[in-house]
Amino acid sequence: MLNALKDVRTMKALLTRAEAEAVQSGDDLPGPEHLLLSAIELPDGTASAAFGRLGVDPNDFRSAVDRAHRDALGQFGVAVSSELLSDLPGAEAPSGPYRMTSPGQQVFQRAFALAKETKPSLLRSAHVVVAVCEQDRGTVARALQAQGIDRERLAAAAREALAAG
Amino acid sequence: MRSSTKVDDVIDRVEIPEPDDPEAALAAVVALRRLANQLERAAAAQALRDGWTWAQIGQALGVSAQAAHKKLALKKET
Repeated sequence: MLNALKDVRTMKALLTRAEAEAVQSGDDLPGPEHLLLSAIELPDGTASAAFGRLGVDPNDFRSAVDRAHRDALGQFGVAVSSELLSDLPGAEAPSGPYRMTSPGQQVFQRAFALAKETKPSLLRSAHVVVAVCEQDRGTVARALQAQGIDRERLAAAAREALAAG
Repeated sequence: MRSSTKVDDVIDRVEIPEPDDPEAALAAVVALRRLANQLERAAAAQALRDGWTWAQIGQALGVSAQAAHKKLALKKET
């Protein structure tokens, strides 16, 4: 019962921050990359620890996402001034129920299912890491690849972080 | 005209993605959408500073004033 209450709190923190990440970066809806950025900041620390176990600063993922988008445009000769990104005016987070991209929903549901399988049955940020690592296409896969991070190794590190903490 | 020459310069530099590399092409689509949203937000903020109304911004974007405001309303400074 207490765990269920904690899960609700974790989900709310995860989704609220993911939404803010999406709004700030100009994306229509939160997707896997925003869920991962949000998970890295969650106070249980297991997502952040998963990156740490690979010797990577978890905060580098944010710039890796921006770089992945810039590189994708650069391949077709579109150069984007980084000033546009850094000077982007803030926008209101949407009100009403949480909405996500379809891959974002898949990550969220998978993370929750993974949490049910582990003991204690409690949603933690590293479950989100394992779930995003299972998607082999998309912005997260590209950003991690650009960072030289193998998704299977990151997922394994996330499982270790869950077992340890 | 000077301004159209500038646009031509930009368009000349954009190479249309080859469909035989769908991964790169689809990633570019995602990045272009994100870029369009970022440009939209930055330009709407500038338009507001220049005294445009939401109705005018909506007209320029081809949407209603309400739709423009809902999507692009600036975060209130705290």
